[in-house]
Amino acid sequence: MKNINRRGFLRTGIAGAAGIVALRPSFVSGAASNQQKDIISRTLGKTGMQIPVISFGVMRADNPNLCKAAYEKGIKLFDTANGYQNGNNETMLGNLLKDYPRDSFYLATKIKPAGVDREGKPSDLTTAEDFLSKFNTSLSRLKMDYVDILYVHDIRNPELLDYKPIINTAKNLKKEGKTKAIGFSTHANEPVVIDAAANTDSWDVILTAYNFKQTYITELNNAIKKASKAGIGIIAMKTMAGGGFLDKEKTKPINSTAALKWALSNPDVTTTIPGMTDFDQLDLNIKILADISITDQEKKDLLIASAEKGLYCTGCATCLNVCPMNLPVPDLMRAYMYAYGYSNPAMAHSLLGELGTKDNPCKECSSCKVECTKHFDIREKIADISRLVNVPEDFLV
Amino acid sequence: MVLPPSRPSLGGNRKGGENILELKRVTLIDKFYYFKMRHILLLSLFLTVLSLSVLSQDIKLPDLKGYKKTTDYPVYLPDNLWDYINGAADIYLAYSFIDLHVAEYKKGKNVIKLEIYRQADHTMAFGIYSTERSPSFHFTNLGSQGYIADGAINFFKGNYYVKIRTYSKNENTLKSEESLAFKVADMLAGASEMPSALSLFPEAGKKINEETYINESVLGHKFLNKAYKASYESGNDIFSIFIIENNTPEEAQKSLEAYLTATGTESVDSGTGRYMLKDGYNGTIFLSWKGNRIVIISGLSKDQSDIADRYTTEILR
Repeated sequence: MKNINRRGFLRTGIAGAAGIVALRPSFVSGAASNQQKDIISRTLGKTGMQIPVISFGVMRADNPNLCKAAYEKGIKLFDTANGYQNGNNETMLGNLLKDYPRDSFYLATKIKPAGVDREGKPSDLTTAEDFLSKFNTSLSRLKMDYVDILYVHDIRNPELLDYKPIINTAKNLKKEGKTKAIGFSTHANEPVVIDAAANTDSWDVILTAYNFKQTYITELNNAIKKASKAGIGIIAMKTMAGGGFLDKEKTKPINSTAALKWALSNPDVTTTIPGMTDFDQLDLNIKILADISITDQEKKDLLIASAEKGLYCTGCATCLNVCPMNLPVPDLMRAYMYAYGYSNPAMAHSLLGELGTKDNPCKECSSCKVECTKHFDIREKIADISRLVNVPEDFLV
Repeated sequence: MVLPPSRPSLGGNRKGGENILELKRVTLIDKFYYFKMRHILLLSLFLTVLSLSVLSQDIKLPDLKGYKKTTDYPVYLPDNLWDYINGAADIYLAYSFIDLHVAEYKKGKNVIKLEIYRQADHTMAFGIYSTERSPSFHFTNLGSQGYIADGAINFFKGNYYVKIRTYSKNENTLKSEESLAFKVADMLAGASEMPSALSLFPEAGKKINEETYINESVLGHKFLNKAYKASYESGNDIFSIFIIENNTPEEAQKSLEAYLTATGTESVDSGTGRYMLKDGYNGTIFLSWKGNRIVIISGLSKDQSDIADRYTTEILR
């Protein structure tokens, strides 16, 4: 122990006082001495960029030291977006990366065009001026002259792929050298959008949701294969199937290493961008940089996780207008989630009241015509939650 | 227990292998019926059972004079928030997101979009609000705090985080947007103050409107959670102070032990203490605690313990 100040901070840790003596070497020695050897990199399509198989989805990170550690340990691609943390995420990254040689890392950001409707179609508000203004704001926050990948954020409709005000603006930015490559991100209707993109020569990179739980994985793999053959680099996101856990109580964690390795088992996937908020996660992911082979246990974990259908409705709305009683099935499933997911029956009761739900509205039907994409027994869940309407509100608040 | 005849699924068809979540669900519903029959005597027990519940408020999206309101968006939940805000969903989820209600107000080509994010409580609403706040914005007296920035009006109140946006430059539309913001702020229930813990931060050198709340992995460490953070600038020194208010001294001790152990420091079972640590990832750390409160200062060098001491003393007094 070292006496620092008589009345103040009297002691230091062993590491602080005497050097590196620690139970967790990486924790004490930090990032610099811990560079992963034999990093597996892949080529990102026609861009030619050599990118390690693990990249960094920075969207939630608020500690620049985490990004710094990732860089020091061999991660080269950092992925952010104009909208993440209302721009604070780009600012944080810019403040950090300005101190590193510009050719020692790759930076990707995303710009969401304004005025795109729920079906992913552009409108009068989807203008080149808005897109360009947002991009320039991003460059300014990032303190960079250029980004390596500029994504159009969230394309779910092929109509937007060829929308001239946006695609021409992106192409011009590439010509001007303000971005090395242009791409788009997609998290809905991915097979259709990726397939359509592969028919054009506009796009260099596609950032797609890609995980072991997607029900349309065959179609998605086919589209990825086609895009890859066309020279488009593929980057995987949402590899954790939308969250790190299989249940709301967070008692069933997804084996994140297995999920990442699964995504990388597709040779057309260049890299993945897992979100990371702590050094333990970082250390786990860094190990994958040099070893992407899936162990038997990891395969087993993925099988188990695949079998989990989850507890709650995802609001896909395919059940709308199917029920002969015209029940608002997604809303009733939401009430179910309030009661059981959040342990908040008052909120569920309130919603049921708003919907005018009666006790067991399914009683007239002998069988249910609603086919849930998650294979829920809709009739059972409605019968279950609708009983709440009989509970006096006073008991719930 | 007397159960109504219309109970199709409780107990009778429960299979032996059904998971614990299903069992919990059944127990909860069973209780509702129990209370329906015997509600007077068992009211207190019921409230205990539902202690995790919070007072709920229906969100009825307000009208805006002269505008056509459309509410054909679904109510977004944790499972499908991705469909609406893509990758940004993760951070909302990290602050205990409950649901999102969306409306659009149209008048000709002018559109105003309203989003009301419901988080678990006031602290979480502040947490997500603070991650998107920048001190350069024009702050306004809306809810607990709000700001106007380039067509956007964002504020938080109670456990709600409200975001209103228009791409129109039309002055009347911008006025209507503001009017909508105040209408929503009046409509929503809940605390209109900033979180009281923020008053613990010493004023000297504190950067205005840069306080945040970090729900998990403070400084990137899994064992440090739920910290308020403020940034400071004093002369050439720029540093951050984190305050963690644990529920009990034992809880504080557990976090401290994890941090001390990880840095190779002897663990001390004491109600109070001050350490200077070398954290390999975050540099020099001044760590102190008293009872259930932990104070962490990062960004100062090891020969600046006098500064750390001054701030720590003020926070822990």
